Amino acid sequence: MTSLVYLSDSWRDEVEKRLKSALSPQRMNFITSSMSNIYTGCPCGEDRFLFFAFEEGNFKAVSTGTGEPPEAEFKVTGDYEVFARISRSEMGSQKALMTGKLKLKGNMIKALKLASVADRINKVISTIDTRY
Amino acid sequence: MTDPYFINFRSRVQQIQAAMAEENIDVYLGSRLRTLSWVSDVFCPWRSFVVIPSQGMPALFSFVIDAARIADETWMDPDHVFGFAPMGGQDQIEQIADYINDLARGKKIRVGIESGMSNYLPEGNLTHYEYEKYKSAIANSEFVNAHTIIDRLALIKDQGTINRFKKASRIVDIGHEAVFEALKDGGWKGMTETEVAGLAAHAMRKAGSEFEWSFTGGNEIASGYRTGYTGGACTPATRKELESGDPLMVDIHSMYRLGLGDHSHNYFIGRATDRQRWHADNFISIVEKTLETYKAGITPLDLAEQMMDFADQGGFADFMVPGFEHGIGMMGDEWRIGLNDGPFSYWTNPEHVYRENEVLICAMQYACPEEKIGFRYENPIVIHMDHCEALSKFKLSVDEIL
Repeated sequence: MTSLVYLSDSWRDEVEKRLKSALSPQRMNFITSSMSNIYTGCPCGEDRFLFFAFEEGNFKAVSTGTGEPPEAEFKVTGDYEVFARISRSEMGSQKALMTGKLKLKGNMIKALKLASVADRINKVISTIDTRY
Repeated sequence: MTDPYFINFRSRVQQIQAAMAEENIDVYLGSRLRTLSWVSDVFCPWRSFVVIPSQGMPALFSFVIDAARIADETWMDPDHVFGFAPMGGQDQIEQIADYINDLARGKKIRVGIESGMSNYLPEGNLTHYEYEKYKSAIANSEFVNAHTIIDRLALIKDQGTINRFKKASRIVDIGHEAVFEALKDGGWKGMTETEVAGLAAHAMRKAGSEFEWSFTGGNEIASGYRTGYTGGACTPATRKELESGDPLMVDIHSMYRLGLGDHSHNYFIGRATDRQRWHADNFISIVEKTLETYKAGITPLDLAEQMMDFADQGGFADFMVPGFEHGIGMMGDEWRIGLNDGPFSYWTNPEHVYRENEVLICAMQYACPEEKIGFRYENPIVIHMDHCEALSKFKLSVDEIL
């Protein structure tokens, strides 16, 4: 399989496929939530987003795009390169948040319940052969 | 059945919002412990803030390690309780500033803050650092000191609050009974002040107390010379063992749904000498006189003058601290009486006129350091039109413990 361009449609399709097969609703803690990752400083010159919605642990939507992301319970904003490092498993998302490289908007009490799930998602994403 | 301890917190918020409107305040940023208790009905031991918009539900922000517990215990819905943490976008400055900026929707706003000073360490006024950071993070804003809104509204206690104080005093009485039972018939031998503090705490916790709330070391126990510190009204318990001939001061604290119990009782360990009994009788007489005198219309200054005259006539004015009260309210509201409108900022106004249904601690300290003897009285009282109601019903006496 050839490597896929990060945040491209084909990469998004592969993310959705792998997440659905690797993470059962139980592994997703049966959560119902949504999260928008907002990428600043993208090579294309525009801000991009990666959006996830879950319902009782099932992936309801995975989308990418430019401009305003869909409304989400949590909004995580950061530099493209920071997200890329997380997607390559070179940096943990917790570390990125704790060092201020990523900014989270949303209720922290609920976000804590989501932390382990976010790590699982990032681990699955890191298995995709990706061109940045 | 109606909950006798019910407090209408939604109505409190509406009263705050009405007062904000009168002062053209768009958002109230409360940081004092007393404000957090009075608005949210939950104990917030970590740094916390409440953001009250001009309409609708307030939002409470606390250190993330305690935020879920707060969300569980407050009357406010969980979507309005937030935890802050050292993470991007989640530290208290950015999180709360974002929240307020969202409320402002780009318009210039007046933000009411809580600034000032207090003898009570956990008061929680906005720090200089917090002020500067919030001011720069909340764009296009004017900050005004607005704590008087809460102070004024919290001054006269509603029935639910008074009932919580009464319940806390019932619990304190149980604590005193347990201490007496443990001390009597030689039980005091080998006992330390800290042990007495713990005995009271155990009994009060069994009776439902949530906290020996005072920041002065919880239950304050003093024996021997420690009862007689000059002007002293702060005696965290020590490892000192009780000894025959000692005066013993047992000042214990309970909390019931943020209502506070605070009663001090005094003993002699062993037989009192005639001179010790003279001091004790003086003390009892002035406590009785003070409780007879408190009522609506009187001021702290009137009362102090009358009581010091009484003490002078009895020949014991030299041993009295000339203050007979401290303020009290829901957890975090301790020390100052009334509003910040006296000759010395943030101290009790000596000309504050007591009104019906104010609650305060009737407090007295009698101290004779030279003779290593002293006594303390503290009891929450409700001010009525023609008398006061002492909430602790434990007997007023200085008994010998044999």
